[in-house]
Amino acid sequence: MLKKARIILAFLVSTQLAGCANLGVKPWERDLLAKDEMALDAEGNDLGLDDHIYFSKEATSGGRAFAGGGCGCN
Amino acid sequence: MSYIRLSILFFTLSFSPLSLSIAQEISAPDFAISHGQLPSKLSALKGQVVYLDFWASWCKPCRKSFPWMNQMQKKYAAQGLQIIAINLDAENALAKAFLEKVPAQIPIIYDPEGNIASDYQLLGMPSSYVIDKNGNIRFSHKGFFTRSEPLYEQELVLLLNE
Amino acid sequence: MQLTSNNQLAKGTKKVANINTALAAATCALLGTSPVVQAEENVWEMDTALLYYGETDRVTAVEGVFSAKKDFGDEHIFSGKFVLDTLTGASATGAVSQPNAQTFTRPSGKGQYEIQGGELPLDDTFRDTRLQLEAQWTQPLWDNMRGSTGVHFSKEYDYLSIAINGSLAKDFNQKNTTVSAGLSLAFDTIDPEGGRPVAFSEMVIDEGQFADEQDYQAAFDATRQKDSDDKSTVDLMFGVTQIINRRMLVQFNYGLSTSDGYHTDPFKVLSVIDDQGLTKSLVYEERPTERTRHSFYWQTKYALDKGVADISYRYATDDWDINSHTIDSRLRFNLTDNTYIQPHFRYYQQGAAEFYQPFLLEGSTLPTFASADYRLGEMTAYTVGLKYGMKMPSGNEWAFRLEYYQQDPKNAGFDAPGALQQLDLYPSLKAVIAQVSYSF
Repeated sequence: MLKKARIILAFLVSTQLAGCANLGVKPWERDLLAKDEMALDAEGNDLGLDDHIYFSKEATSGGRAFAGGGCGCN
Repeated sequence: MSYIRLSILFFTLSFSPLSLSIAQEISAPDFAISHGQLPSKLSALKGQVVYLDFWASWCKPCRKSFPWMNQMQKKYAAQGLQIIAINLDAENALAKAFLEKVPAQIPIIYDPEGNIASDYQLLGMPSSYVIDKNGNIRFSHKGFFTRSEPLYEQELVLLLNE
Repeated sequence: MQLTSNNQLAKGTKKVANINTALAAATCALLGTSPVVQAEENVWEMDTALLYYGETDRVTAVEGVFSAKKDFGDEHIFSGKFVLDTLTGASATGAVSQPNAQTFTRPSGKGQYEIQGGELPLDDTFRDTRLQLEAQWTQPLWDNMRGSTGVHFSKEYDYLSIAINGSLAKDFNQKNTTVSAGLSLAFDTIDPEGGRPVAFSEMVIDEGQFADEQDYQAAFDATRQKDSDDKSTVDLMFGVTQIINRRMLVQFNYGLSTSDGYHTDPFKVLSVIDDQGLTKSLVYEERPTERTRHSFYWQTKYALDKGVADISYRYATDDWDINSHTIDSRLRFNLTDNTYIQPHFRYYQQGAAEFYQPFLLEGSTLPTFASADYRLGEMTAYTVGLKYGMKMPSGNEWAFRLEYYQQDPKNAGFDAPGALQQLDLYPSLKAVIAQVSYSF
């Protein structure tokens, strides 16, 4: 399973990086990207609260952020 | 000892990524201007010091530069300073709405396609260029920092006194 | 994960990494999380939220969050977070339902509770208050590079978690590409009331067989380890954020997490079942002392003419054999310049841990590790929700969120003997999430 995951990772990273050179915008073309709601951590409190809920109720945590410690004992 | 000094210098430099000015001497790319208060092209402003500011309504730090630019234009107009603000909004209406909230007492030029910005190879927003009386770019700034306003003003004074 | 900020993107040399503190109970704030919006200089930006989480017949939690962020100039940014939550209600013990009533001893050893026939055994003594504090500092370092470091502290009655983190992010390609790397170290201490159970020790239930209280207490104490235990966690994260075009950006994170120490849930038991499906005894669970996890996270944000589409996928796998898939999507539609609605949909699926089993069979060899905690079993879960936000003329913003969360545990291939066939061993869990947020 892990091996499969590694292959997926390698694929994603390589396709991503290969494309980088041609991707992107000029500094003055960031009007839409500059909107608050386009930030990856927009709604930070919502995301933090969701992470807490799902950390306590499911076996997986992290991904977007560090998985971290904690017991999740309920 | 000199090694230590060098290290300190290196550290100081490496931790001041926002160093504001880059001394250079490149001829400012010319462009056509259609504005009642200005000649028809940038190169016709030779003999004056020109401060070019590239901005857009969605760029938060751009907002901070307007009061300063208004003040500088008023203070140094008689000595030959011309500040020009080039707007890069794709939609003109957004620029107009911005100017209603943040009044500009300097001429605004609209470059919705980013043609002038491309010629100047902007690295970020806002960007500004200080052009001397001979039409050369002498200083450029990436970003606008309130705490650096005195430095920006010194640059203007330096070129005005040449 | 990434430190870029949108505006910052927009801004040339400036960049901000507003660190989004991530998880609550557990997780530490991370560095690399996001292109963030750049703070206005020298102004405190406050975000507050109050969340209600209520499960049908089980746990109820109320959580308040206060976070503040300030740019002290030139993108030297402090962010802090204060979280207080309280939890009450009943939680699944891991024991199976039975045709007849069952008696359980409370985890503290003081007192008992009864579960009726056909009912899922829940321990209703959960009552806890948790305090969490986080602080994070982010600033530009040298050319196109940002650094961030922070601390995290979380304390509840029987649990303490302390973590530190640090990360670096670098921009390339006119800031269209950001690469980041982060490290977090967490140290947890657990000291449950009544002590930690001895692995697979049998729950002592006072049914009149003890001569006096002292006899009972001696028998109970024999199943307990008195000292506290701990767990340390090391998290590594690598992220790439790429602007695709004027409307789209993507982020990819790889996370590696290893933890060492006490992973067992001291409140969970397994039923020991005979071939009729009847419970003969209850024993405390035992989990491995190490866990290594990998996560692969992909997020795309797309700017619509009047809104934003935000879709993410996470694949996680670990050496407990738990593999999971998570899809999360938020679609924001701007109703007017100042109001929006945002439907939210999330789907989650996990496989069972290798040592998960819903019960133990009487007479079979005792495994090295076993847990009947349904959260380590096979399950699917989904969340559907709607958020409504409105910006006031002052620029402050109110938002309201209402969601429904349902977990559906599955049988991971275990045959239920006798009486258990008539009982629901994998009941669904249903919860309502309601939240009010105010930013100023």
